[in-house]
Amino acid sequence: MPIPDTLQQQLTTDFLIESFEGLERFDRELLALEKGATSQETLNNIFRVIHTIKGTAGCIGLGRIESVAHVGESLLSLLRDGKIQSSEEIVSSLLALSDALLGILRQVETSGSEGSADHSVLLSRLQDLQSGRPAAASQAVAPAPEPAEENAAFGLFCDEPEPAQESAPQATVPSEPGSPEPQQPAKASVSESAIRVEVSQLDKLMNLVGELVLARNQIIQNVAQPDTAALVAASQRLNLITTELQGSVMKTRMQPIGNIWAKFPRIVRDVAHELGKKISLVMEGQETELDRTIIEAIKDPLMHIVRNSMDHGLEMPADRCAAGKPEEGRLLLRAFHEGGQVNIEFTDDGQGINVSRVKAKAVERGLLTADQARILADRDAFNLIFLPGFSTKETVTNLSGRGVGMDVVKTNIEKIGGSVDVQSSAGKGTTLRIKIPLTLAIIPALIVTSGAERFAIPQVNLLELVRLEGEDAQRKIETLYNAPVYRLRGRLLPLVDLNRHLGLKPKGSADAVSIVVLQADGRQFGLVVDQINDAEEIVVKPLGKQLKTLSCFAGATIMGDGRVALILDVLGVAQHAHVVTEVRDRAISSDGAAAHADDASQTLLLFESRKDRPLALPLSKVARLEELSSANIERSGSQRVVQYRGQIMPLVLVDQHVGGDGWDSAALQDPMQVVVYSERGRSVGLVVSRINDIVHESLSVQRSSSREGILGSAVIQSRVTDLLDLESIIRAADPDFYEHRQAV
Amino acid sequence: MSDNHQFCTFTLGDFTFGIAVQAIQEVILFQEMTPVPLAPATVHGLINLRGQIVTAIDLRGRLDLPPRRDGELPMNVIVRTPDGAVSLLVDQIGDVVEVEPALHEDAPETLEGAAREIVTGVYKMPGHLLLILDVTAAVTVPNSIQPSRN
Amino acid sequence: MSKVILTVDDAPTMRKVVSLALGGLGHQLIEAEDGMAALELIKLRNVDLIISDVNMPRMDGIEFTRQARQLPNFARTPILLLTTESDPTIKDRGRAAGATGWIVKPFKQEQLVAVVAKVLPA
Repeated sequence: MPIPDTLQQQLTTDFLIESFEGLERFDRELLALEKGATSQETLNNIFRVIHTIKGTAGCIGLGRIESVAHVGESLLSLLRDGKIQSSEEIVSSLLALSDALLGILRQVETSGSEGSADHSVLLSRLQDLQSGRPAAASQAVAPAPEPAEENAAFGLFCDEPEPAQESAPQATVPSEPGSPEPQQPAKASVSESAIRVEVSQLDKLMNLVGELVLARNQIIQNVAQPDTAALVAASQRLNLITTELQGSVMKTRMQPIGNIWAKFPRIVRDVAHELGKKISLVMEGQETELDRTIIEAIKDPLMHIVRNSMDHGLEMPADRCAAGKPEEGRLLLRAFHEGGQVNIEFTDDGQGINVSRVKAKAVERGLLTADQARILADRDAFNLIFLPGFSTKETVTNLSGRGVGMDVVKTNIEKIGGSVDVQSSAGKGTTLRIKIPLTLAIIPALIVTSGAERFAIPQVNLLELVRLEGEDAQRKIETLYNAPVYRLRGRLLPLVDLNRHLGLKPKGSADAVSIVVLQADGRQFGLVVDQINDAEEIVVKPLGKQLKTLSCFAGATIMGDGRVALILDVLGVAQHAHVVTEVRDRAISSDGAAAHADDASQTLLLFESRKDRPLALPLSKVARLEELSSANIERSGSQRVVQYRGQIMPLVLVDQHVGGDGWDSAALQDPMQVVVYSERGRSVGLVVSRINDIVHESLSVQRSSSREGILGSAVIQSRVTDLLDLESIIRAADPDFYEHRQAV
Repeated sequence: MSDNHQFCTFTLGDFTFGIAVQAIQEVILFQEMTPVPLAPATVHGLINLRGQIVTAIDLRGRLDLPPRRDGELPMNVIVRTPDGAVSLLVDQIGDVVEVEPALHEDAPETLEGAAREIVTGVYKMPGHLLLILDVTAAVTVPNSIQPSRN
Repeated sequence: MSKVILTVDDAPTMRKVVSLALGGLGHQLIEAEDGMAALELIKLRNVDLIISDVNMPRMDGIEFTRQARQLPNFARTPILLLTTESDPTIKDRGRAAGATGWIVKPFKQEQLVAVVAKVLPA
């Protein structure tokens, strides 16, 4: 044959990759068609995939693929030209066609030949659909297409005055008595062993390799004519180039998570049909990139979670209707970078996890004692599903119960350093969240300098940058007792001095302050650094075992000059500085569960109402602390208000709500101490007697349901302190305050 | 003679130490390091070893020896561990020596503190003792907890 | 004398097949991934023969042929369309758009070589 074998092989490999991708697109577009996408573009895309596979297969001698694709192409051309309308049956048959083609392609991939699977049933079904008949009575299967006749295979229009006659033979593959295709032992398939790389990325690699060669030449020259200075320069260059080369090669390994999600719509459709459920799948953040090796490692766990949600989470349509929910269940997949990690969330609006059933099962399985089960908090109970050998459904279906439990999912995620957490609300649904460290990822980061060292801050945590110069540096940073704060557009922003918290010697100038406004765990804080440098894309590298316990660092990266810079774990820094609550380890120990208590620690504003009664509020609720003159109080109906920042701000006398005097009998101080609380542009001023302190406390709250205006009490700085029930107090004073919130 | 009796030697102050050659990946000159705030004191910093981030552990600190004098630059002995390469900072690199197994003695009882866990044996060499280090113990930083946290 | 042959197809494997089939003729082979790309390309450089697929995204082979014929340099350049049996109208539409000839996919190497020889005299 004119085309040499090795080239033929290369062509086949190219064809396989191209076709696998094509069929994935084909499935996706078909599902869109079924969902009601009717654009000509969709129909064209669907047609073109099969058309291309057919044409290429024929040219490289894969006759079986060609003829199977041919039958599909005929049906698709009718569909494309609007001669027949899409139906569920057509979509199902075309998906089956895609499976059949995929089967033959895999056969070619593993064995080099097209195999002998029998596709006659499928093909006659596809033919029946062409004539608009339901695919029941199949007509006799037509013989395989003869190779087109030599003289009709090509020609010039000038040689042939008459327009060519139509000849479109119906074709199928001869049905050979074939057993199912033998299962091939798993080996790396072409689609797994090949990846696509942006040309620009390749160009960059090529440039770097060019520089590498240059550096090598300089060093070789140096061997002939030694010159220490030149050698040092060349070595440094070599070091730089190598580092950058490595980073670039790493980048080529990054893949969007959408690559593995691409299969989900098809699976969800098929499984939903099988279960008799209606399920819509929504995917967000497909472009979120992960290292190839991580993608490979999470592929199966993700698939299992999706199946599990469909199987156990989402209810049958009738049950959903009965529960007052839309018939169609919703499964939302979200991927995003946060807190230096890749988050993958699976949210369904199903029945939620039944806590008592889960507990009962765990007790029955001997995973927990009855006593432990009783005190186990709901949140911890959800995580029981990850214990080995746990399954809440009495009957193990063939979908989820494939010998793999959620415990295996958890193990596999943890193996790559990730974590899994589940939250659920009875009757409303379940959210399962996977966090995977960025150890292999590339992230955009802000580079800052503190104490003469550079640190990288993941951009996902970054809100804004503030630089205070001259007088502002002194004036605008206030110290509320021991905690430095900055008023950022009316909000009190706790400040964390990176030098102080990392024990570094400041190198910045005293007359300017650089604040990096960050967000972690929903809380904002300002990180004070010596200097803000540049934004850069960095390759995250793991820290050695010796440093794994340092929660302030997410890893390290290598900068352009070849030196190492640490990557800040923003959440870890915030926790270290106590500006956010420490996350409790919610893992369930094997001997049951640790007793759950409301003992999360947080930053509190301590103040007093009259009669020296100590009160506390989470600092996060406080927008500003003000001193206002009591002469400015106006009345608006029964309410007391003041003009504040261009608004009418209602005032609440805290005393009145914790059993003290009302406005009329109270002796007001002047100026009044006012704690301003803001929500959605509206503010309320809490009038208190004295502001005492800001503390970071680990709270052990005693609930008190009977006392109005109080959530409970705790011992803070050896005084019994009441925690103010802000919402009920504000509601009592200004019933309208939350009204517009509820309307939202 | 088996490889087990070949040791890469180096000095810390007046002492000569050896690590089995199989455990050694390479030896490199002093490099600029990035210090790690809040890290245990024996972690001297991070170096970039051909794109890999390697933790450098000061063996003097690890063995409770007095710190190096200012201006004296240590060398990096890069050792292989199951968790990746780790650099041990030493004063001077010596030769690779082969020893007679018969000369092996257990670590002296007089060793104190951390050295007790790390030094696994001693060979009597002409004019000095060769203290053999266990790599796994050497790279295990005790109490790897942030000192400032509780 | 060496000629320049442009293959237009959205399937890279197909482009490779054409290039390999014609590789022995000593011509220079260049490729474009659809009609739009091909049109951009031939506005920048001359080619001696175009072999184009018909069904492609963005701009199909028929429209490409029509537009190529508007370009002064390409009024007579041979354009061969890669057609398939399944769509009999392609040939008619191709002729109307100004294509020179057609080749039915799948083709044999000899067939491609033969038709190229017809339109590209040495």
